[in-house]
This record gives sequence, structure tokens and C-alpha cells, in this order.
Amino acid sequence: MAEVVLRCEALSKTFVTGLLRRKVSALRDVTLSVERGEIFGFVGPNGAGKTTTLKILTGLVFPTGGSAQVLGSAPGDVAAKRRTGFLPESPYFYETLTARELLDFVGRLFGLDRAERARRVADLIDRVGLRDAADRRLRGHSKGMLQRVGLAQAMMGDPDLLVLDEPMSGLDPIGRKEVRDLIAEQRDRGKTIFFSTHILPDVEQLCDRVAIIVRGAVRRVGTLDEMREGLEQAFVREATR
Amino acid sequence: MNAIAAIARNTLREAIRDKVLYALVFFALAGLCFTLVLGEMSLGEQERLTLDLGLAALSLFGVLIAVFLGVSLLYKELERKTVYVILPKPMHRWQFVIGKFAGMVATLCLLVALMGAALCGLLLLQRASLDGALARAILLCLLEIVVVTAIAIFFSSWSSPFLSGLFTLGVFVLGRNADEIAALATRAGDTAVGLVLRALAACLPNLNLFYVSGSEVEGKYVSVHGAFVDWGYVGVAGGYAALYLWAALGAAVLLFRKRDLV
Repeated sequence: MAEVVLRCEALSKTFVTGLLRRKVSALRDVTLSVERGEIFGFVGPNGAGKTTTLKILTGLVFPTGGSAQVLGSAPGDVAAKRRTGFLPESPYFYETLTARELLDFVGRLFGLDRAERARRVADLIDRVGLRDAADRRLRGHSKGMLQRVGLAQAMMGDPDLLVLDEPMSGLDPIGRKEVRDLIAEQRDRGKTIFFSTHILPDVEQLCDRVAIIVRGAVRRVGTLDEMREGLEQAFVREATR
Repeated sequence: MNAIAAIARNTLREAIRDKVLYALVFFALAGLCFTLVLGEMSLGEQERLTLDLGLAALSLFGVLIAVFLGVSLLYKELERKTVYVILPKPMHRWQFVIGKFAGMVATLCLLVALMGAALCGLLLLQRASLDGALARAILLCLLEIVVVTAIAIFFSSWSSPFLSGLFTLGVFVLGRNADEIAALATRAGDTAVGLVLRALAACLPNLNLFYVSGSEVEGKYVSVHGAFVDWGYVGVAGGYAALYLWAALGAAVLLFRKRDLV
């Protein structure tokens, strides 16, 4: 049996908002597991709870119920974070830095020495196609370029698990293909990828398994073959149920 | 320690590249130069006036810059969502807060060094002699600025920049009047007002410790123009500042540790 890299058990999250302390349920009993070497698509309409789940898995948000494990540790544990790369949705960076400086900074956070940082920065800049813009301040980068910088910083620690929130967002068709190739290449290197999206063709081309989340609850989990009516039909049926 | 050093380094680099900081430095230096004008208007007291007003300007601008930058230090990370990129990296949240604080302190050290050098330049222009008292007075100002920064970060760990700014300036004003508040508390006795004043006096930092020129310390009048506090006093004030930093940053870390970053 393959090693489980990421596990959510009855995960729930309720936010309390406003002066009246109104409760908003963002996640309800989310249960799923991702095995080593898988590309797992987390699919759902806007506001379904995808980003909240990913933020819990990366320690940015705390669950109100249930539990989660990332690489054998609790989310947010330094041990888990050392082996996880995270790309937030529409990533924001320090605008006064260049892409090279940002990646070097991230390398420092991983405790890499100068030579290793320089090697990885040069390699990642090449791999995400940023060679011409590497020394330009991030303030002047387009959304697509920022997405590439985001992917590069997620891979800076050479993680075993990549958690990507809408990785194809803001990219043109060529950029999307490049990101798909990059994700596939990571899988070929034995990495596990868990990514959220609502772009179904990307999921169909990349994913081994898929979970459909609607209004904070996981409706279906399975391989693309198991969704006999096709992913789009299954998605629409679950989203409108 | 790697993570703290990396975050501190990045915070300093960001501050140095921020145009707003240069505007603040310009006003601070202009304020210092204005003391020269005021000095010229006095009769035979140019040096004295430049030194007194210069130190006051250094302290006031330093505190205002600390409040301005300190209250938005954590908020900016949340508002600009840069925290989503940084906190999932291998570090604890407390390391993030301490790293940001350390970077801020490094920035303020540079600012105080710049303003201190400008003040020394102004005094040399007036052919005044510089001595260790001025260095001790500037160092005490820096300690006060660092304490105010820690308070600003404490408020900004749970409040908006505007409210944090108001709270921090409030603490600064009350902290500069801590001795008066303690005296009032004694006079008010066991009344409700007395209890509130005693609680205030216990919680507030006594910022009078850091701005001593022209006041009495242990029954003796001290002045930067004559008999000033010695390095031992500066060490004790540094210890007091360290304790206050530990308390303020500890509280900020506790509040930030379990905060949902949505």
C-alpha cells in the first residue's frame, strides 16, 4: 500500500465574522487522503472551500474540527513545512525585490548555504522561464510572471509535497502548458502534488485522482475513470445538487 | 536563527527601498536643521539650544517613525498577503514576529545613527566639542525608540494600523508622564481612581528613564551640558528596555500564534 502523504479526517472550519459574531461554515467534514507520487486535483466552484483547506494544510488557518496530517506531522509543524512547497492563490510578493532576491530569501528560510542557494535559484529561474526578468523588481511583473515566480519559490526547498492553489490562474495557454509540464515533471521526480483548480481540462490532463468539493463538503473522491460520466458532468451534477 | 536573520535582513532591505522612509528621514533631518535656525535666534546660547532641541527632535522623530513603521509591520504582511508565501516556509510564527522586529530595530538604528551624525555635524558647525554624554543621550533615545517599536508591534498583532498608532502614541505620552501618574496614584490612595492609576503605572513603560537631560536622577540634577548619567545608568536602562521588550513581544507572539491568516 502506498504511503499516505496528506490526510484530512472530518476536517471542518467555521469562521466567526462581524460585530454580531456571525458564524460562517467554510468546511464540513472534509475527508480525503493523497498518496505518495500522486497528482491530486481538488476541484470545486469559487467559494467551495478549496483555499481554506489548503490554508489549513499549510498552517495558515486552524481547523475548528477534525484533524489533518501532512507528511506525518500536524499542519504548520516545521518538520512538515520543511518538506512542503506552497503556492498561494494569486501570489503576492515583496514588490521591491527582484525574482532572484526573493528566491534567495526563500532559500535562506530553508537554511540553504550560499552556493546551494545560487545553484537552485539559477536552476529554477531557467525552469519557470524567468531568465529575462529575474533581475527586475517584482512590482513590474505581469500576473503570469508572478505565477511563475510563485511556482519557483514553492519548489525552492526541493519539497516532497507541492500544495498549489490555482496554479494555472492568470496564465495564457502557453503558460498553462508550461505549468502542466512542470507539474508532470515533478511527479516524474517522485514528488506528490495536491492542487486546487476550477479549470477542468487541466485536471483531466494531469490528475491521477480528483476530489470535488462543493459548499465546504467533499462530494466525490476518485480517479477520472471512476467518474464514468466524465469530470465535467460529475462536477456540474455535484455543484448543482 | 536562520529564519529570524533572513526575515530581519529582508525587513531592513524593504525599508531601505521604501520611498516613504526617505520622506520621513527628510522631515527628521529638516527638523534637526531647524534647531540651527532657532539657535541663531538665541543670544550666546546657540550650542546649548542646538543640543537640547536637536536631542528632542531626534527623540520625537525617532518615536514617530517607529510608530509609523511599527504599527504597519505585521498588518502590511497580512494586507499584501505576502505572509501566505513566507509563513508556510520552515519556521515558527514567533520567529516571524521576532525577525520582523529585529529588521525594524536595524532600520531604526540606521535612522538614529543618521540623525545622530547630523546633530553632531550641526554642533561641529558651531565649533562645539562633542563628548560621551551626547553618545549616551543618543543611545538612551534609541532604547526608548526600540521600546516604542515593540509596543507598536504588540498593538498591531491584533489591531488595525490606525488604532495601533493611536494606542502606541497614547502609551508614549503616558509613559513619558509615568512618574506623574505614579505620584497621582499615591495621592489618590485606595479610591477607584487610585487603583486604576496604580494599575496604569505598573503596566506602562517608564519612558522618563530614557529622556533624562534636564531632570533629576536619584536626587541629582543631570544635564547633557554638564553632569550626565554614566554608562552604568545606560546599562540599567538597557536592562529595563530588554524586560519591556520581552513582555511586549511575548504578548505579540502569543496573540499572533493562533491567529487565522485568512
